[in-house]
Amino acid sequence: MDTAPLAELAQPIPKAQGFFMFKRLKVEDYLVATLWIAVAVYGSVISDYSASTAAFYILNVPMALGLAMLWGIAGVLSFGQVAFFGLAGYTYGIIAGNIVSNLALASVAGVVGGLAAALVLALVFGYFLFYGRVEAWIVPIVTLVMTLILATFMGQTAGYEWKVGQVLLGGYNGMTNIPPMHVWGVDLFGRPLFYYVLAVVVVAWLLTVVCLRSSFGDVLVALREDSLRTELFGHDVRLMQLLCFSVAAILAGVSGVLYVQWGNYITPDSMGLLQATLPVVWVAVGGRTSLLGVVISTLALNVLSFQLSSSGNQYAFVILGALLVVAMVVPTFGWSQRVAAVFGRRG
Amino acid sequence: MSEESNDENKIEKITNEVDSNVDRESGEIPELGLSRRDFLKGASGVVAGSMIGGGMLIKGAPAIAAPESKTVDIGFIEDLSGNLAIYGLQKYHAAQLAVAEINQGLTLAGGPVGVGGFASMGQQAKKPPLVKLNPGSGEIETVDDGGDATESGILYGEADDILIDSGEKGLLGKEVNLMAPDGQSNNRLWQQLSRKLIQQDKVDVLVAGFTSAEREAIRPIVDRSKQLYFYTNQYEGGVADEFTFCTGAVCEQQVIPVVQYMVENYGPRGFTIAADYNFGQLTAAWVRAYTPLVGGEIVGEEFVPLSVSQFSQVISKVQSAKPDWVMTLLVGQNQSNYYPQAAAAGLKFPMASTINMAQGYEHLRFNTPSLARMHNAVNYMAEIPTARNKAFVKRFFKMFPKDPYLGQMAQNTYFSIHLYAKAVRLAGTTDQETVRKVLESGWVVEAPEGAVFLEPGTHHASHYIRMAKADEDHNISFVRDWPTIEAWWLQRLGVNLVRHPEHKQYTPQEDQFFPMLQKMASK
Amino acid sequence: MESVLSVLYQFGTNAAFLLLSAIGLIVILGMMNIINLAHGELMMIGAYVASFLYHSGVPFAACVVASFLALALAGVVLERLLIRRFYGRELQALVVTWGVSLILAQGMLLLFGPFLASIPIPFGSGAVGAFSFSWYWIALIAISLLLVAGLWFLYYRTAFGLRARATMQEREMARALGVRTGRVYMLTFALGSGLAGLAGALMAPTTTIAPYMGQQYVAPAFITVVTGGSANVIAGALGSTGFLSLAETPFTIWFGTFIGIVAMLLASLVLIRLLPKGLSEWIQRRWLS
Repeated sequence: MDTAPLAELAQPIPKAQGFFMFKRLKVEDYLVATLWIAVAVYGSVISDYSASTAAFYILNVPMALGLAMLWGIAGVLSFGQVAFFGLAGYTYGIIAGNIVSNLALASVAGVVGGLAAALVLALVFGYFLFYGRVEAWIVPIVTLVMTLILATFMGQTAGYEWKVGQVLLGGYNGMTNIPPMHVWGVDLFGRPLFYYVLAVVVVAWLLTVVCLRSSFGDVLVALREDSLRTELFGHDVRLMQLLCFSVAAILAGVSGVLYVQWGNYITPDSMGLLQATLPVVWVAVGGRTSLLGVVISTLALNVLSFQLSSSGNQYAFVILGALLVVAMVVPTFGWSQRVAAVFGRRG
Repeated sequence: MSEESNDENKIEKITNEVDSNVDRESGEIPELGLSRRDFLKGASGVVAGSMIGGGMLIKGAPAIAAPESKTVDIGFIEDLSGNLAIYGLQKYHAAQLAVAEINQGLTLAGGPVGVGGFASMGQQAKKPPLVKLNPGSGEIETVDDGGDATESGILYGEADDILIDSGEKGLLGKEVNLMAPDGQSNNRLWQQLSRKLIQQDKVDVLVAGFTSAEREAIRPIVDRSKQLYFYTNQYEGGVADEFTFCTGAVCEQQVIPVVQYMVENYGPRGFTIAADYNFGQLTAAWVRAYTPLVGGEIVGEEFVPLSVSQFSQVISKVQSAKPDWVMTLLVGQNQSNYYPQAAAAGLKFPMASTINMAQGYEHLRFNTPSLARMHNAVNYMAEIPTARNKAFVKRFFKMFPKDPYLGQMAQNTYFSIHLYAKAVRLAGTTDQETVRKVLESGWVVEAPEGAVFLEPGTHHASHYIRMAKADEDHNISFVRDWPTIEAWWLQRLGVNLVRHPEHKQYTPQEDQFFPMLQKMASK
Repeated sequence: MESVLSVLYQFGTNAAFLLLSAIGLIVILGMMNIINLAHGELMMIGAYVASFLYHSGVPFAACVVASFLALALAGVVLERLLIRRFYGRELQALVVTWGVSLILAQGMLLLFGPFLASIPIPFGSGAVGAFSFSWYWIALIAISLLLVAGLWFLYYRTAFGLRARATMQEREMARALGVRTGRVYMLTFALGSGLAGLAGALMAPTTTIAPYMGQQYVAPAFITVVTGGSANVIAGALGSTGFLSLAETPFTIWFGTFIGIVAMLLASLVLIRLLPKGLSEWIQRRWLS
């Protein structure tokens, strides 16, 4: 058990130190940065179609990072990431679809609106959840219930009366013709979209790094290890959990908005039972606490999943399931944690 | 593909060069201090990578044309696993049958220029009655009644050779290749797969989609890429898209005949149980609008979410409403459990549907008498006893002896692929825009169900509709038929994709006649 | 009179459905804190076993018992191989069981195709005036109550039950007192797994027997267990199914199936907010102590 953060907390923090210090970055952060550079270079040599496909893999990363922060670091498992993903996506569709006069404004307003909606839901639901002091194992199930309610509700909004402004919610068929990101007079598709997605994801990753390599991150770790003790040190555990939940929700919202800007389409299925378990799987295989591991596993599992499916391989699910079992049973905390540990004990 | 063989040549060349440098004994390349295997792996990787990267870069550049493909590629996405697999597998097998037949040099009879056009068959009168007009009395006198009028329930014998020689093996001298990844009943995967087939594999035509959600997931990509797309499934109607051809049956072709039949035969009071999503809700809206026009009324409606599989409460509601017949618009494996549960609870109402039996073969899956007294206005069921269908069914089960059924959507897929091949042959090219224009010339294709007419303006198909009825032992009889019912609703909405291309789906609320019908009915 | 009977019947069938969906999970999640995402697949395999045996001529009741035994055995295997590595690490157990569920569901699809031959619903229908019902559902209501009674007897009246409860409450102490905790865990998991198989076999006639049929039971099972809480598993089971059905039934009658489901989900959320340790803890506090 890692006792370093608790030891640090026990000492009074001198005022000069501040919230975030550059020297607290870990080796893996530099590795992830290198990875992003490599991805950017890769994006310049591949075809337009491949860039578009790569954009799809990458846009899932913020949601996984949010869950890594929430589950890996703070110890709160949530199945609700896809609820925020879906809500943000639908909200973007509603807002951007209604502002037809100014396309640039439409997409920007959509982005802001989508993230805001995710934040509001997280604050409301999180308040309900964390200030009610429910037991830890109940959180995953309650968040799953929330996701299912949302998915079921959206599934039956099929009729013409279910519209906001001039945008039909679409029910089970989904919301279609969602406007893409419009920047500098251009709709983003293909390679430009890839670079836009990459830029947003890198910013989201930086946000996660800042949160985690700061004293806020320390409190989250302490919370996971022993929440009672952390509270006795004077930290408001419920507020910390709520904040963490909200940040994770915003990150999931980022993924959701990027998704609809990529595919111009969203269905209630994206908040269904199968989709809800995917982020959990990505984070679990990546070794929950390692951002490098989570990024790599999210990308790898998405690529693997698609390659298996598109090649007509019927064993896709069986292989995925076996992979999960193996990843959990192999006694390390995910392979990349080992790698990170090799580079230095600051893990 | 030529580019790959170039890569191989380059790698071979480097390998030969490396070979000459390698120390014969240790296998090491002295200057580099690497073992030969490592070097080759690395070098070939770098070379291959840059070749492929360079190749893709070239492919991505629009100015340079990609080399002409050696096959005609049909992109085909269906759910081969997951919840919808029992439907998807049938369609996949039907597609394989059609492609095999085209490659063997066969095609279905039919031609452009409407019903009655080239090679379309009409119905042969085997022993028609002989008549004479007496102008004075105004009577038409039967000279000879011709013979038994009820041969298999059909007055005129049908010519059974719908499968005829196409004149070439394959299509335009090339083999037809079916590229069929598995959609796994997952909408996101559908998006990715359709992108791959359209943008990377550059298929000549896309045939895909079971649920409307799947279709709507890929239609934006289809529209943006101007991809020729066939949606061969029954659905709630309304798609007006210049690149999409919908060859499945729609509400006006099935709802109205079945509702009319039920009201005439069982009484005016109907109760609807529908799946609680777009298809169920919209079809139920059609039922609600048109039942009063044929003299009936809907006394209750129950909408059931797709995930629900227990129907005790719904059954109780049906019982307390005491209808004359029940309209069941239930979709998916979970919801089909209604039938055995209702039978076990002692419900004996006659049932009507536009979906069940013909697609999910409930009458073969569930024990008798769960589907007794079920009526469905189908455009196709495997049990249709015409000569042309019997031959088709035989062909299908010869190729797929382990399949449990051959359903409505599978047959739609089959004739749609043949229709595409005929259009390509007439166009002389696989260029998608040209083929689209050719498809808009008013085709008739002789399908196993009967003659199907692809209407130019609406891109939808007319169908031969038969009223199927299941008895206590789940045997099927066809008690009424309508040789041609057009998909007239889009015409009423003024859709003409030849003149005014569109890319949307209409709903009943956009039809001014629906509220008018409600008003008429309530008088 | 008929409508009263009808409403009672609807209430009973909803509650029985929740109880049967949850009974395997009550033991595994409620008592062992293992979030078993393969619960639906265990029920599915129970149904598969029942279907195979039934169509080989075995009478239905025997098929149900066989499903219980088969799944109990499978549970022992699963526990020994995988689950026992994750005690105390419930969240990792969650991922492992999810992996297992993927393998089982897709594996069954690959081995046996999209669905199996269905089992006809036994016993036929009865009628009171215009209200007709299925005798089988009456039987299921009775069986689910019997199962709960059996569980209560096992856990509160037998030596095994005492040891099991002690282990769940305070493992190290129980060990110090001579309880073979490893054995208790194994048997408990086997029991939970067997009960899931039993429930799957019982529900098999009412549903299509297909690889993904387990999905329909997963959410109701978890919601029932969470609403019930872990303080007193029996009280929790009865209390939560009663409470949830009480929420679902009238809303379905008045507003339709969808609203009924939403009402049940919201009721469960509200209850967890007010009673974070579940209904059983409240029942225990108010009435049993």
